[in-house]
Amino acid sequence: MKDNLLLSDVSTAEGQMTSVNLERIPVLPLDVGKMPWRPLTEEQKENTCCILDDVCVLNIPKPKNRAEEEELVNKFLSGMRKSFTKENNWAFLPILETSTDYCAQCNSCADACHLYEMSGEHDMYRPNFRSEIFRRIYKQYVKKEPLAKWRYGDMGLNWKTVARLGELAYRCNLCRRCAQTCPIGVDNGLIAREIRKIFSQEMDIHPRELHEKGTMNQLKVGSSTGMTPEVVKENVEFIDEDYAEITGIGIHTPFDVQGADIMLLHNAGEIMAWPENIAAFSLIFQEAGLSWTLSSKALAYDGVNYGIFYDDTQAARIALQHMLAAKELGVKKIVIGECGHAHKGLTVIADRLIPFEYQVPRESCYVTLHDVIMSGRLKLDPSRNDFPVTLHDPCNVVRLMGIVQPQREILRRIAPKFREMPCNGVNNYCCGGGSGFAIMTRNNIEEWRGNISGRKKMWQIGEAFKECLGPETKKYICAPCSNCKGQIREILEHNDLYAKNSFAYGGLVELIVNAMSNVKPGFIKWEDEEE
Amino acid sequence: MTTLFYLLAYLAIAGFFCLVFLKVRSYLRASPLHVRWELYPVPHEGAKTSYGGSFMEEKEWWTKPRHVHHLGDIKALITEVLFLRATFEHNIKLWFRSYPFHFGMYMLMGGTIIVLLAAFAQLCGASPDGGLMIFIGNVISAVVLVGSLCIIGGGLSLIHRRMTDEGLNKYTTPEMYFNIGVFVVFGLFGLFAWTGASSYFEMARGFLYNLMTFNFIPQPGTWFALHLLVGFFLLIWIPLTQMAHLFMKYFTYHDIRWGDEPTTYNERNKSIIPDALKYAVTWSAKHVTGGAGSKTWLEVATSNPAAPKND
Repeated sequence: MKDNLLLSDVSTAEGQMTSVNLERIPVLPLDVGKMPWRPLTEEQKENTCCILDDVCVLNIPKPKNRAEEEELVNKFLSGMRKSFTKENNWAFLPILETSTDYCAQCNSCADACHLYEMSGEHDMYRPNFRSEIFRRIYKQYVKKEPLAKWRYGDMGLNWKTVARLGELAYRCNLCRRCAQTCPIGVDNGLIAREIRKIFSQEMDIHPRELHEKGTMNQLKVGSSTGMTPEVVKENVEFIDEDYAEITGIGIHTPFDVQGADIMLLHNAGEIMAWPENIAAFSLIFQEAGLSWTLSSKALAYDGVNYGIFYDDTQAARIALQHMLAAKELGVKKIVIGECGHAHKGLTVIADRLIPFEYQVPRESCYVTLHDVIMSGRLKLDPSRNDFPVTLHDPCNVVRLMGIVQPQREILRRIAPKFREMPCNGVNNYCCGGGSGFAIMTRNNIEEWRGNISGRKKMWQIGEAFKECLGPETKKYICAPCSNCKGQIREILEHNDLYAKNSFAYGGLVELIVNAMSNVKPGFIKWEDEEE
Repeated sequence: MTTLFYLLAYLAIAGFFCLVFLKVRSYLRASPLHVRWELYPVPHEGAKTSYGGSFMEEKEWWTKPRHVHHLGDIKALITEVLFLRATFEHNIKLWFRSYPFHFGMYMLMGGTIIVLLAAFAQLCGASPDGGLMIFIGNVISAVVLVGSLCIIGGGLSLIHRRMTDEGLNKYTTPEMYFNIGVFVVFGLFGLFAWTGASSYFEMARGFLYNLMTFNFIPQPGTWFALHLLVGFFLLIWIPLTQMAHLFMKYFTYHDIRWGDEPTTYNERNKSIIPDALKYAVTWSAKHVTGGAGSKTWLEVATSNPAAPKND
C-alpha cells in the first residue's frame, strides 16, 4: 500500500492503493474514539473493485477478463464525453468546463477541507486529487490535446483508474468549502459530483442507498423510507396522538388541504426516526395559526431528493413531482422542513431546471419559523431552555443558500445560553454525513464517518462547549437538518457521549416547543430522562 | 527581418484578442443556462454580505423587488484582482510568492497602457521631449524596474516553492514551470533592456508609435527586442493555458459563484428553460432513457423508471 501517494498511483498500484493511518488522525477534546478499519473480506477482494482504501462505497464488480476491463474504461470515457456536451449536461457544463480548464494547482483548497485535515493530511483527501485525475484523463483521452502529457501531466487509464476515480468521488461530502477558498473560482466539489453523475447516468453504478433504496424507491412507492401515502398518514396520526399526550395540547396535522397557504415538505425520515420533529412543526404551525397542509401525494410527503447527490435525471424527476403536488393543492408556497439538501435541491437547483409555470415559491422553514417567533404569535418562556445550546450550520442551507441569521435570531430569543461553534455560518464544516453518507453503513463507511468525515464537527462541538464538558451540564446540539442529525446521532451513540457529556441533539423546532409556555415542560429529553 | 518583427507584433495583439473572444464565446455558448451554483458570501447582497446572508433569508422574498448591490461585486472583484485576497486569506505562504509575481505583471501591464497613451499623444502632436513626456518617462522607468524585479523574484520563488513543497510538487506539470519560467525570462529581458538603455520609456513609446504608424524601423537594443518577442509569445500563450484565468475569472466569480438570480426575476431565463428541456439526452444507464437511446430532458423528467411496467 502506498503511503506517499502520487496521482499516477491510481492506475499503477496493485490491490488496495492506500490506507489512512489512524495514528495520524487528530485526537479531539471530546472523547471520540478511533474505529479500526475492518479488513476487506476475501470475497470482496475477489469480486469487487474495492481497491482504493479501506472503504468501499460503490462495490463495482471486478472485471473478469480483458474485455470487461476495456468495457469499464470505454463506458467511463463515453460518459465523460457526454458530460462535456450541451445536450447531456447543459445545466452544469459551463461550471464543469471552467473547473476543468483553469485550476492553477495552488492547493489552497486542501486546507479548507475537513477530510484532508482530519485524515492527518492524507494526499488522497486533497480536493484536487480526484479533480486532477479527472482533468488529466479528459485532456489526454477525450480531448486528445497535443502535448497533453507535458502540459497537463500524464495519467494512465485502465480499469483500476476508473474504479478508483469512482470511489474517490465518494470520499467527498460535496460541502464545497474548498470551492469557497479557490482564488480562481474552480469547484472541486462539483467535479466530484460530475464523476458521480458519469458513474450513475452512463455506467449505471451508484451506491444502493442513494439509488435503489433512495431515488428509485421514492419514485416507486413515494418515499425513500418505503412509506406509502397510507402509511405516512397513519404514522402522522399516531405522532399527533402521542405528542398530544406528551405536550398536553391536541395536535392535528392536516393533509391535502386545498388552497392552504403553505405546503410543508418534511424529510420523511423524520417521521420514522425523529417523530418529535414532525410533532413540533405541527404544534408550532397550529399554535401560530398558519394556514398549512402536508401532501399525501406520492413523493410530495418526502422532501428527500438524493438525486442532488449523484444523478441529475433523478433529481429533476423528484423536484418536478414536489412542485406538481404543490400546484395541485394550490398553495402559495412550499415551506421546506429541516432538511438541508431538500432546501438546496428544490429552491436553488430546481429553479433553473423546472419550467417557471410549474414552479411554486419555496421558503426555508427557518425563515417561516423566524416570522412566527418574531411576530409574537407563540407564548415563549426562554428559561425553559436554560442549558447551553450550540448550532450546527447545514452546508446546503447556509454556505450554498446564504440563510444564516433567521435561525440564530430564533436561538437568541429562545435559548439564553446559545453559543456559536468556531468556524460557523458560511465558514462551517460539514457534519460528516453530507452527500448521502449519513444513510450509508457498510464496508467501513461508518468507521470513515467516525474517524474522518465527522471528526471536524465533533471538534467544533467540543470547542463550543469547552467550559462545560462532562456529564454535569446538560447540553443541546441544534442541528436543523435530517441527515446532519443522523450523522451526529451516530457519533454520539458510538462514543457514548450522551452519558459522558449529557448531550442531547435535535432540530430547531424541538427547542422552540420546549420553550412554549402552554406546552408541558420537558419536551426535549436527555438520556437519563428517557422513559 | 524588421518587418517580420512588426508583423509578429500585430499577430500577437490580434491573436490575443481573437483568442480571448473565442474563449469567452465558448463559455457563453457552452449552455443556454446553467443551474444556480452560488456560494456565499455573495458580495452584492448589501448589508447581508458581511455575514454571508442572502435574499432567501427574507419571508416571501419573491414578492419583493430584487436589489443587487453592484458596487459590492465591483469592490470584491477589485480586491480579489488587485490584492489576490483569496490567496492571502487561505494560502498565505503562497501569497508571499504569488503576489509579487502578479503585482509585477500588473505593473508592466499598467505601464504598457501608459506608454500606449503617450504614443497616442505623440501621434496627436504632443512633443516627445515635452515636460509631461519626461515625467511619464520617469514613472515608466520606476514601473519597469519594480515590475521586472517583482516578476523575476516572485516567479523564481514560485518555481522554488513548487519544486520543494511536497504537495505542490506533485501537481505541478512541466508546462506550469515553463509558464512561470517564460515570465521570468520576460522580466529578465525587460530588466536588461532597462539597464542597457538611457530611457526604457523612449524605446517602448517609439516601438508603439512605429507600430501605430506602420513605420517599421529596427529596435534600438537587442535586449529590448528579445523582451518584446517574449511578450508577443505570452500574448498568444496566456489565453491557451490555465493562465486564461486572467479574464475567465470574471465568469467563475460573477456568473457562477455570485450568479444567484432567481428565475422569478428573469424573463429571458423563463423562456430558456423549456427550450433547454428539448435537448436530447443520450446517457446510457437504463433508468435514464429506459433503453430508448435518446429522449428529451422533458421526457426524462416526466418519466418514472420505477413505475410498474404495463406489459
